[in-house]
Amino acid sequence: MPGLDDDMKFRDLFAGYGDQFERAPSSLKARLYTNFVHKQREGGALASLDRSVASGQGICVFETMVQIAPVGEKPKSPFFCQTCHARVLAEHFDHPPIFWLNCPYVKFKES
Amino acid sequence: MQAVLAKERKSTAEFVELCTDWIYGFVRRRLMPRAELLEDLMQEILLAAWQALPSYRQESSLRSWVLGIARHKLDDYYRRRIMETDLAEEDRGSEELTITPAFEDELDSATQQERIEKILADLPEAYSLALLWRYRDEKSAREMAELTGKTEKAIERLLARARQSFRRRWIDARP
Repeated sequence: MPGLDDDMKFRDLFAGYGDQFERAPSSLKARLYTNFVHKQREGGALASLDRSVASGQGICVFETMVQIAPVGEKPKSPFFCQTCHARVLAEHFDHPPIFWLNCPYVKFKES
Repeated sequence: MQAVLAKERKSTAEFVELCTDWIYGFVRRRLMPRAELLEDLMQEILLAAWQALPSYRQESSLRSWVLGIARHKLDDYYRRRIMETDLAEEDRGSEELTITPAFEDELDSATQQERIEKILADLPEAYSLALLWRYRDEKSAREMAELTGKTEKAIERLLARARQSFRRRWIDARP
C-alpha cells in the first residue's frame, strides 16, 4: 500500500489535469464530420436538401444547384460533400483555402 | 436535436463541431501516451452520443451529458488496456524500487500541466493509464481491480511502479 502522503501528492499533482478547454483542430473536425455522415448513411439516407432549406439552414452553391432541380427527394439526399474539393482540403489542412458560403468545412475552419 | 436525429446535414455539422470542441482536450490528455488513438475514440464518442440522443432528458447540459459519454468510453478503454497488460511480466521486468524525493518544484499551472503531459506520453501505456485512472479520475485500487479482473495487489504493484517511473522522469525533466 502506498503511504497516504504519497497518494495525496499524486492526487494533488493530477487534480485539474486535462480540464482545460482546448479547441479541436479544424482538420480533425472535418474528418470526424465526414466519417460521422458516412455512419449516418449506413442506417439510411440523409435528410434531403429540401428539408435543410425548409428548416432554415443555408446550403452551398453546389447543393443549391441540386436542390432547385425539378427532381424528387431521393436525388437530393446523397452526401454531396463527398465529391467536393472543399472537403478534401479541409480534411488535410487546418487553414484550407476554401471560402464557400454555407459550407460546413468552411465553418470548421472559421471556428 | 430533432434535426440531427433526422440526419439533416447542416445541423449534424453543428452537432459534430460543438461536441468535438467539448471533448477534444478532455480525451486527448487522458489518452496519453496513445495520442494516435484520439480520432478513433472521438469518432466512437460522437456516434455513441448521436445514438443515445433520443434518451437525453435535458437534466444536465448537453455538454455535461456528452462529457459523461466520453468518460465512459475512456473508462472502457482503460479497463481493456490494463486488462490486456501482463502484470506478472511487468513485475519480472521492473527495476527495483528506490526511494525518491517528492514533487518539490513550485511550477505555474501551465508548466506543470505541460510537464505531466510530456511524462505521461513517455511512460509505458499501462503506467500512464493507471496513474490517470487512479489520481485524475479517482478510481480506487479496488475498483480498478474489479473492472480489470486483476487482483488489488497486482493493481497496487502496477501503481507503485507507475509512480516510481513518473517520479524519476519528473526529476529528470527539471531544468
